[in-house]
Amino acid sequence: MKPLHLALVVAATLIGGSLMISLNRPSVQEEVPANNVTIVDGQQVIEIEAKGGYTPRTSTAKAGIPTILRFRTDGTFDCSSYIRIPSMNVSKNLPSTGTVDIPITDPKAGSLIGMCGMGMYPFQVNFES
Amino acid sequence: MHCQACILLTESELREVDYVSRATSSLTTRTVEVCGDFGDRSPAEIAHELSQVLKKHGYSLSIERQQHAANWADFAVAVPIALGFAVLFVLLQKLGIVNVINTSSVSYGTAFLIGIVASLSTCMAVVGGLVLSMSATFAREGDRVRPQVLFHAGRIAAFFVLGGAIGALGASFTLGTTGMFALSLLVGVVMLVLGLNLLDVFPWVKRLQPAMPKFLATRALGASRMSHTLTPLIVGVATFFLPCGFTQAMQFYSLTTGGFLVGGLTMLAFALGTLPVLALIGFSSFSIKNNAKAGIFFKSAGLIVILFALFNIINSLVVIGLISPVFNF
Repeated sequence: MKPLHLALVVAATLIGGSLMISLNRPSVQEEVPANNVTIVDGQQVIEIEAKGGYTPRTSTAKAGIPTILRFRTDGTFDCSSYIRIPSMNVSKNLPSTGTVDIPITDPKAGSLIGMCGMGMYPFQVNFES
Repeated sequence: MHCQACILLTESELREVDYVSRATSSLTTRTVEVCGDFGDRSPAEIAHELSQVLKKHGYSLSIERQQHAANWADFAVAVPIALGFAVLFVLLQKLGIVNVINTSSVSYGTAFLIGIVASLSTCMAVVGGLVLSMSATFAREGDRVRPQVLFHAGRIAAFFVLGGAIGALGASFTLGTTGMFALSLLVGVVMLVLGLNLLDVFPWVKRLQPAMPKFLATRALGASRMSHTLTPLIVGVATFFLPCGFTQAMQFYSLTTGGFLVGGLTMLAFALGTLPVLALIGFSSFSIKNNAKAGIFFKSAGLIVILFALFNIINSLVVIGLISPVFNF
């Protein structure tokens, strides 16, 4: 049973190590203060950067006012260049560099969940009334 | 016996023997029923004689059922290998490999570079997983080189031709959300079955293994040869449509190039960039067959393919909106 024990130890070290690294990495929300939501002339704009995931991952916005979800790309070729918001039936390609606006006429209170085309980069907008 | 092709192959080979009048193979029971004029030979002698006929294809006949040996000891090595691979895969994503690309204009050189990064990104779970499951499955049936060459040939040719078509038409051939969901779910399930099969622990999974339908694999073309040629080629072409963020982004870019040659060459450069890593994944099965480590390799490959398959299935359910996001890279 010796090789089995050795193998288990190696596997545990690998998994523990990777968990430590990913936990020690500051999450994106902490790096970027959530000042990505602006309201100009009654129009709410939520800006989200799309490259290797979405920044910020969680935004907080007001419900009930006309809103634009603005995605900004800059040399983005990864999965985040394809936006998918299941609840709004949005599936959209972003240009590799540029901005794309997705209008939400009357956002309801609650959280809007979206992700990239393959599903492993999520983002969330919490609409508060 | 692994697949429908085996049935056709064993049946047709046995029928060639002049004293055999009828041969019926069954994948479910992994038996073959043979009728004919055998004179006064004993069943054991007949089995031995007919084994010689099938030997060149790697089958053997016996009158008693072969005991299935699962070799659980191989898992002591295979499980850590697969977990180590999975950890490495997650680490690569967490460290932000996709941010290596920092360009807004796409030359053929950058398309190639994007291809390399893509092959190390989460696309590895889809295309790499498919390559690993396919090459390991074919390797176990004794066909190592040709299916892989055909897969890559199909993939590269498809990227050039379809990329060119996108560039010339200015319209993409995306499958739409539902089509994409169906395809990625299908790929996930196929990979899951192939992965379980590679573990060689659950004999009943063999029945689920996808293959060319029996009626398509006509004997005239050679049942086995047909499925070993067409399957990798079709899978290679199909990778153009598989859900991989980079592939989609490059297709979207090719759309703006406005010409067959530019669009085609861009997608070609991208596909060539993905080739080294994909080839490496597939070639891992080259040296393995028939040596003592084979069991470990196939079990490790099986476990990795299963992990990738679950990753793909969960992600496809997330994208269609059935469950909330699970992974957060």
